[in-house]
Amino acid sequence: MIRLENIGLHFDGKQIFDGLSARIPAGAKVAVKGESGSGKSSLLRILLGFEPSANGKVYYDDTPLIPATAGLIRSRTAYVPQDLGFTVFRTTRELFYTPFRFKTNRRLMPDKEKVAEILEQFALPADILERGIKAISGGQKQRLLLAQAVLLEKPVLLLDEPTSALDEANRVRVAEYIMQLPATVIAATHDDRWIRLSDMLIDLDEQGKTLAK
Amino acid sequence: MKGAIDIGWMKLLAGYLLLLIPVVFFRIYRTGLVRPTLVAVGRMTVQLLLVGLYLEYIFRWDNPWINGLWVLVMTVVSSYTVIRRTGLRLRLFLWSVFGATMISIVLIDFYFLGFVIGLKNIWTARYFIPVTGMLLGNSLKNVIIALDAFYRRIDEEETSYRWQLANGAEHNEALLPFVQQALRKAFNPLIATTAVMGLISLPGMMTGQILGGSNPLTAVKYQIMILLVIFSSTILNVWLTIRFSRRVAFDGMLNLRKDIFEERGK
Repeated sequence: MIRLENIGLHFDGKQIFDGLSARIPAGAKVAVKGESGSGKSSLLRILLGFEPSANGKVYYDDTPLIPATAGLIRSRTAYVPQDLGFTVFRTTRELFYTPFRFKTNRRLMPDKEKVAEILEQFALPADILERGIKAISGGQKQRLLLAQAVLLEKPVLLLDEPTSALDEANRVRVAEYIMQLPATVIAATHDDRWIRLSDMLIDLDEQGKTLAK
Repeated sequence: MKGAIDIGWMKLLAGYLLLLIPVVFFRIYRTGLVRPTLVAVGRMTVQLLLVGLYLEYIFRWDNPWINGLWVLVMTVVSSYTVIRRTGLRLRLFLWSVFGATMISIVLIDFYFLGFVIGLKNIWTARYFIPVTGMLLGNSLKNVIIALDAFYRRIDEEETSYRWQLANGAEHNEALLPFVQQALRKAFNPLIATTAVMGLISLPGMMTGQILGGSNPLTAVKYQIMILLVIFSSTILNVWLTIRFSRRVAFDGMLNLRKDIFEERGK
């Protein structure tokens, strides 16, 4: 269960949203909807403790998201951001394997077969890990990060516009695959299909109204 | 052994005529560099003359306390310069940079002067001051490059940094690619210069010693040692600076504080 209590966000004196509260049961698939600038990506960052100016409280089960617990909570999340720069990594292989080298994820280091299987599932070329980071498209990078997030087997997935760089065929494939995972999935999205497939909707255009579907 | 031929004051003035060459080029190409060049050369002249004067007395007195104080002043100025050049906020970074510089200088000075050279008294002005000055001067530009690359890259690639944290990275793990990049950026030029030393460049210290009348082989040995010492003190300095400054540069949730940069902190 993830609980948001009275979350508010202001930028340069402008209110983005305020008084947002929601209860997200374990395993729920939540779509966060709203126009550009409505704070969808910010809400995901708030759920990870990355918006220092936000107010309100976030709980994962009964654990509040505070500096002392942030590491523990983040060890249970997987996050795919919308901005797919990642130029700090030199190769696609480095980008893909980096999270599996973290102490908390080492036991999840996938073997070759598992990697080949997930790459195929996400319609990625088998040799993608051999390519330079600048040699793969935005859509491929996005699917690669989603595939990686799946392999991390975290109970909570936070996805920022997970299908924005994908073509129609891949949107369907990715959405259907993610929706059948046991994890809680919270996705900021414009994608109507994704919204339809979700169990809950947080509509930031409607002041964060939460609709269980 | 005979020392170098002294340069008379009039001859020194004649040497300044060489400045006409860059000044003419800068004017022709309208680079706007004439004034900064003249100011820089003016500052350099005054600073070096003052240093020459101080050093004459410092060498004459050769008092460990005064020597230590002199190095302390050099370290403060060096730390100040590092922070100013990286555009980081002085108030937040001064202690980290100063502490890191001090520790790296003391450790390497003790090893080099005490063990390698085998001085009974490492505070001897003739060794302690020029060697420390050389260490500070050479590590200065590398620390600037590394510190700037480290914090600017985290700021530019904030998404990658946060993505790692959000996927379970501990702070050290999330910083690793940025430390790697900062070290590569700072050390690649030093490695390249070291690799061609003696082939396309004769380093200043060695040249100075030869001009001062030292045996060329002795000068070479000193030069080799000083390069090794620069490598070690620079990496120690960079690593410690990053280590110490992390406490002030990130908030409790490990977000990079936006006010660490001078231009945004005002």
